[in-house]
Amino acid sequence: MRHKTRETEGTRNRASATGLNIDFRLIYVGVSEMANLAAYIVRRLILLVFVLLGVTILVFIVTMLLPVDMRALLYVHGSVKYLTEAIANAIQQYHLNAPFYVQYWTWLINLLHGNLGWSVSSNQDVVVSIATKWPYTFEIVVFAAPLIIFLGIYLGVQSAIHRNGPIDQASRLLSIIGWSLPSFFVGMLLLAVFAGILGWFPYAGSMTNTWLVYMLTPKNHFMHYTGIDLFDGLLNGQPYLSLDVLWHCVLPVITVVTIDVALLIRVMRSSMLETLSKPYITTARSKGLSNKVVIYKHARRNALIPVATLSGMLVAGLLTGLIITETVFGFGGLGSAAVKAITNLDIPFIMGYTVLTALLFVSANLIVDIMYAYIDPRIRLD
Amino acid sequence: MSLTSRWEEFKTGMRPRISEWRFMLKRMRQSNLAMAGLIIILGFVVIACLAPVLAPIPSVNRGNPWAIPQDQTITGLVGYNVPTPPTTEHIFGTTYYQYDIYYGCIWGTITAFRVGLTVVVISLIVGLLIGTLAAFYGGVIDEALMRFTDIIIAFPGLILAIAIVLAFPVAIPLNLSMLFLGISAFFVVIFLGLRRDRTGAIFTSVFLVILAFSLITYLYFPLILNLNLGKLDKVLVALTLVGWPGYARLIRGEVLRVKNEDFVEASRASGSSDFRTITRHILPNSIYPVFIVATLDIGSVILTAAALAFIGIGAPPNYPDWGQLVSASQSVITNASNIVLYFHTFFIPGFFIAMFVVGWNLLGDALRDVLDPMLRRR
Repeated sequence: MRHKTRETEGTRNRASATGLNIDFRLIYVGVSEMANLAAYIVRRLILLVFVLLGVTILVFIVTMLLPVDMRALLYVHGSVKYLTEAIANAIQQYHLNAPFYVQYWTWLINLLHGNLGWSVSSNQDVVVSIATKWPYTFEIVVFAAPLIIFLGIYLGVQSAIHRNGPIDQASRLLSIIGWSLPSFFVGMLLLAVFAGILGWFPYAGSMTNTWLVYMLTPKNHFMHYTGIDLFDGLLNGQPYLSLDVLWHCVLPVITVVTIDVALLIRVMRSSMLETLSKPYITTARSKGLSNKVVIYKHARRNALIPVATLSGMLVAGLLTGLIITETVFGFGGLGSAAVKAITNLDIPFIMGYTVLTALLFVSANLIVDIMYAYIDPRIRLD
Repeated sequence: MSLTSRWEEFKTGMRPRISEWRFMLKRMRQSNLAMAGLIIILGFVVIACLAPVLAPIPSVNRGNPWAIPQDQTITGLVGYNVPTPPTTEHIFGTTYYQYDIYYGCIWGTITAFRVGLTVVVISLIVGLLIGTLAAFYGGVIDEALMRFTDIIIAFPGLILAIAIVLAFPVAIPLNLSMLFLGISAFFVVIFLGLRRDRTGAIFTSVFLVILAFSLITYLYFPLILNLNLGKLDKVLVALTLVGWPGYARLIRGEVLRVKNEDFVEASRASGSSDFRTITRHILPNSIYPVFIVATLDIGSVILTAAALAFIGIGAPPNYPDWGQLVSASQSVITNASNIVLYFHTFFIPGFFIAMFVVGWNLLGDALRDVLDPMLRRR
């Protein structure tokens, strides 16, 4: 990425020479920008393949550190009379004694065919398992992520404008508390107050049992269009089901927001403070621009760059599963599934999860880099 | 030259540094939040030092403080596995299977300091070594070390830590030392190729030492492993392995910033060795941001350790550790009425964790304001 001035002398002259009302300069820049962007995305996608290969090879090496008997044990199902023989059979059947690169190649070919293997911990195909668990994580993230980003940016900006004022002190205190409390502590505290004492919210789970029964009863013809109950309820004409899901999401969302907004507030505040001390802000003020324009048009936009990176990583991190929050609130999402898989040494699931994680983080990086061009027009993608 | 004149010379040389420290202390004292953080941490230090007085080791433990006493007398109607609320005998109450929460919280303070300081100090040393070498020598060394660092950073920390803890007992003795062997052999090959001058020779010898070390690891690791490596120690190892890349990156950036300054050139021109240039001129000018991050990191290490304990990876059930106590409360808190009834079982140890982390974060925040050259003189 490098900085480039937007207009060149040649295009400007051409535009004025024609005398038409069409700004050729803009068309030229727009077309070259699109071509640049497309080339950039293609390059990044090629890079993504290599990153994925690197990450999966590394995880594969880690799983290969386990003794072969232990890996074979994963394939032994049910009650087996002669364990040693069963293990020996599994080793032979799945080529577990083969060299590392042979096993990795087999796995890779299977991956390209969409076959990630059988997950022991969830007793399902890995792809199916991830596809059924991800929606529960998504239901929390879809509310938490926008809240975190907008609240973080708003409070960070307010706190920087009114430096050392009451708003600043309050939001700094909030960010220190959010940053210091363990997420299980926040979750359990919320549960104790709002579910235990006040009884406003449900204790655990992602849906009330009556709705779960309704959803699973075949004669109701409940269609899983998206796999996400929140949207499926609306699409099936059952808004109360969606409301029920929403009701179950409130406490987990508050937990996640309290913890994760802290970092964003801090970064936004310090970035904003740094920008406000830049010479061009003084210039803008001396031109007689109103305070509002200076802060929101000049300062905030320039201060958003580090926050954009952080938000991208944050959302990607949230989408890979909220391990602690899901455990506390009994949401059977991706995070709790991953922990279950790791504690059971469920290698196929761990590999699938790793691929998904790497994919999410690399795409988040890509999206953030493309967003840069919109936040700061001086940045060109090359 | 007499001793007194040497002392005078030393004093003159140290004067700017001393006045700098005075200034920092003054700034610290002006900030309420900094003092609050300092008082909280000092309070925890006092608790840790007075632990044998505050919570005497019960005689059944035979001098071993690392087991929470169980109250065997509480049985009958209430039940052995039902937590009892705070009483005069157990001022914080008891948790699942009648473990005394007060004892666990007091001795857990020592555990918290041990976990936080060990992980941060060891990651700092490893990160310092790798980051400085990469930035100072640049080129192939930089590429090799930093790409390795990038790979570790690419993984989600908590997941990687869980994987390391679980793989530790079975995988480490043989396979990991083989991995060490492979990595160091790889480095030796690279650095043998680099041996053109004195630096190359030094590096080759350093990595030959690493090779020797990995051979020793290969031969003796099973023995070292038998030295009572508890579950918590595995968590320490895992958190260290996950923690060092952040420091390596930070230090690399700082050293890169400093290494082309004039005073570094002057030091080199006056013929000082690489080691002297790094330790006397580069590191003193690039280490402050690292200290700030390290202070803040002690809190986050405790949080990660507690999160690991919460999902059942960490100290065993009778070990005085805050995270373990919260984790134990999970088995009795199963519905909305239980969470109110057994509120003390998670709230008290959770409160200790929160205060400990708040203390370190306040202190680190204040240090940032005091030490950061961009912010300090405002």
